[in-house]
Amino acid sequence: MKPEWKEWAQEAKAEFPKANSALLPLLHRIQRAEGWLAPETLSDVAELLNLPVQYVESVASFYSLYFKQPVGKKVVHVCVGLSCMLAGSDELMHRLEEKLGVSQGQTTPDGAYTLLEAECLAACDLAPVAQVNLRYKGPVPPEKADELLKEEVSS
Amino acid sequence: MIADAAAKLGIDVPVYCYHEALGPLGACRMCLVQVEKMPKLATACTTAVSEGMVVHTRGPAVDKGRKGVLEFLLINHPLDCPVCDKGGECFLQDYTFQYGPPAGRFEEPKIQKVKDGPINEFILVDQERCVLCQRCVRFMGEYVGEPQLLLEGRGVETVVTTVDHEPATSQFSGNVIDLCPVGALLSVPYHHKARPWNIEREESVCTLCPVGCTTLATGRDGHIVRIEGRPVPDRSWGWLCDRGRFGFDFAVNPSRLITSYLEGREEAAARTTRQVGQWLRDAVSQHGGNSVAFVAGGLHSTEEAYQLNRFAREVVGTERLAVSRDVPGYLPRGLNGTFADIDDADAVVLIGTDPYESVPVVHLRLRDRARALPSLKLMGVAPRSLSRETLRVDTLVTHVGQEAAVLAAALSDAARGHAVLAELVSNGLGDLSGIDGEALAELGSTLVNSEHLTVLWDGLEADVEPVLVALQSVRGDKPTRVLPTWGPSNWRGFERAGFDARIESLTGILEDARDGKLQMLVLWGADLLREYPDQELVRQAYARVPVLVAESLFPPAGHESFKAILPQAGPGEVYGTYVNMEARLQVAMPSVQPPGQARPTKTYVTAWARAMEKPFVLQEDWDPYDDNSGDLVPEESVPREVRPIAPASSAPDGYELITGVLVIENGIPSDFLKPRVPQYPGRISPSDADRLGIRNQAVIKLSREGREMTAAVAVDPAMTPGRIYMPLGLADAPVNALGTGAVNVTVIEEVHSA
Repeated sequence: MKPEWKEWAQEAKAEFPKANSALLPLLHRIQRAEGWLAPETLSDVAELLNLPVQYVESVASFYSLYFKQPVGKKVVHVCVGLSCMLAGSDELMHRLEEKLGVSQGQTTPDGAYTLLEAECLAACDLAPVAQVNLRYKGPVPPEKADELLKEEVSS
Repeated sequence: MIADAAAKLGIDVPVYCYHEALGPLGACRMCLVQVEKMPKLATACTTAVSEGMVVHTRGPAVDKGRKGVLEFLLINHPLDCPVCDKGGECFLQDYTFQYGPPAGRFEEPKIQKVKDGPINEFILVDQERCVLCQRCVRFMGEYVGEPQLLLEGRGVETVVTTVDHEPATSQFSGNVIDLCPVGALLSVPYHHKARPWNIEREESVCTLCPVGCTTLATGRDGHIVRIEGRPVPDRSWGWLCDRGRFGFDFAVNPSRLITSYLEGREEAAARTTRQVGQWLRDAVSQHGGNSVAFVAGGLHSTEEAYQLNRFAREVVGTERLAVSRDVPGYLPRGLNGTFADIDDADAVVLIGTDPYESVPVVHLRLRDRARALPSLKLMGVAPRSLSRETLRVDTLVTHVGQEAAVLAAALSDAARGHAVLAELVSNGLGDLSGIDGEALAELGSTLVNSEHLTVLWDGLEADVEPVLVALQSVRGDKPTRVLPTWGPSNWRGFERAGFDARIESLTGILEDARDGKLQMLVLWGADLLREYPDQELVRQAYARVPVLVAESLFPPAGHESFKAILPQAGPGEVYGTYVNMEARLQVAMPSVQPPGQARPTKTYVTAWARAMEKPFVLQEDWDPYDDNSGDLVPEESVPREVRPIAPASSAPDGYELITGVLVIENGIPSDFLKPRVPQYPGRISPSDADRLGIRNQAVIKLSREGREMTAAVAVDPAMTPGRIYMPLGLADAPVNALGTGAVNVTVIEEVHSA
């Protein structure tokens, strides 16, 4: 457990009437700092908020934006919703996989990229749409896969 | 709720997620009903009934709704019923047959998940079959208070799993198998063992501890292969602990006696029976009936005790009859309460006993009460803290042997001047230094002022009995009910059958045997070297009595002293009635035959009566039930006289050995349960461990006045400094070899955890 987590837990708790409401913001804050949420981190958070580990694990596993495995510096989400699929997201994903040499759901060995699929990102006007570290990019036709990977974004 | 009202009226409303003990959730949507004036179908499990409400539990709209729900539930269901243990006793099958669509319209491939993954060593999870009703998750988290199961993931990917994917360790984990309405949570011992049409499923009773939980025993091909909980309406939810649910394999344990031993050699049971008959005949003709003594114990039924009692009194003509006891306490029938007294209590006092360890399912009952009545006063008087994460108990930690004096002091304080108390403490209270005055006052006020007081008592201190009698007298008409948590589990049944259950009878027999006044000692399921509080006396008695005979499920300790050992037919192998700690009679139907040459009591005593050429006809129709008290042993009035308690002796300077019942270690072997049996069953406080140089666990030597025993102990932060706890009745570390109280401690070997 990092010493600052205790402070963060206090700050998160102060914003809500009940401790379990502080869970999501605290997990986000720790993930921002650590990059991902290790099983031990979840136990630590449970202890900090005085919640059962079971509850924390259940919540953390429910939301796909909490990473339970280490991720790369850039996390690329490719939307696989209906509109994006009609606009060629399959091909986009395929090219990204080829370029990065990993399958969707995986991280490149150098730790630079993590490639993930996302269900509808609610930006059909930008189809096929993608996110790099949660920033919307689109439309990204398959041939622009290279450019997508070169996008400079803050982490 | 509508679902409860319908159930009460015998109207079937299908449910998966709802369970009355867990409360409403509305997750599965299976219980849809039509309520007039409501625009849409409502879930019967979350809709409260109200005056004038008209509910239709069937009809085109309802059936269509349920059909739709089932089609969704089955979208990813593997339909592997032919290889599923639950096949034939599955609510998903039943309701689909009743309401479901004949075929699904969803053509996409089904999602594949983990099949037969482990929850722990007893339970498998098939995540594909799960309908996500959350019964298991809520039972462990809310009801038991040990949240070891969880829903992981979201949407169609959601699965039931364990925290950190580590095995669930709760001793109540097995209940999730009964709770699972589909084939998702499966019993490891029953996995792929049988189909509903090739089993005998009989109503039975668990005899492994005094709770006497109601069970269903599944027999197949002569073996019991499964134990399930059996709910009894308005009385019990049918919970079991894992000890009772998975410990049934004692019946087929390799150490089980299925043949007899005559003077140390294996021998046909018929021949040994004849020889014992000859010894009985000789003893009675040469030394008279009273030269033979009988001690009942173990897992015998009330009927068997009755048959033995009649044989002993009428054929042998002896009055030396006793019940095997491992603690000296006795509870008069008049004070004996029932589990309903827990449900009605505003105060519960635990004397010595930790229900989680000694009577596990009662722990759930107490938790149920504490959740329903947050103001419940839950106090304890014991030489160690009885508080747990799952049940907070304000424990007044005493020195060993001071419980009676502390209770008497609290009582005298709170009900000053009561005549019966003067009598109770006429010998003085002794040295109670170190007992916190404020805690004592609170205990006294709880004892005297609560409206409905329920006490659980472990029987380790005989002097608590007069305190309880006095307490009842002080409280007058306000209910004061006591639940005894000691074994043998059917001791009250033995009493009902005519045995004296007080330890004095047993002590008398052992002293007579030691003094050479007995010709023959017959132990009926009793294993006295392991059980009786003073092992040395038993040793001397065994050495002196000319003919020592045992009838037993397993070879008794010190079996080389026995001239004959006969195999016993166990529970579930013969019809029998058992009396639990509520003094309630419950019937166990047999589901299998006794193995090998094991025979019921009747066979032995009838053969011996014939050998002794005495007329003896056992009435088949003896009935332990009573016309007035129904399934409870007849009420008796509480004795008026109160015997004075002994004053508390001063606390020793060094370590004190304390003990208690640990039901997982109650001496009845089980291969299934082996992984759960603690390797270091003893406990020591962190500060004492520090002083002795123990980090985690160690083998230590406890000694007093030349007697000694070795004990495997682990550090337990809940232990009070100065106390060393060892469970009662361990074969390789018998507390009764030393007795509780002051001991010297030396470390033999420190063991570092792996």
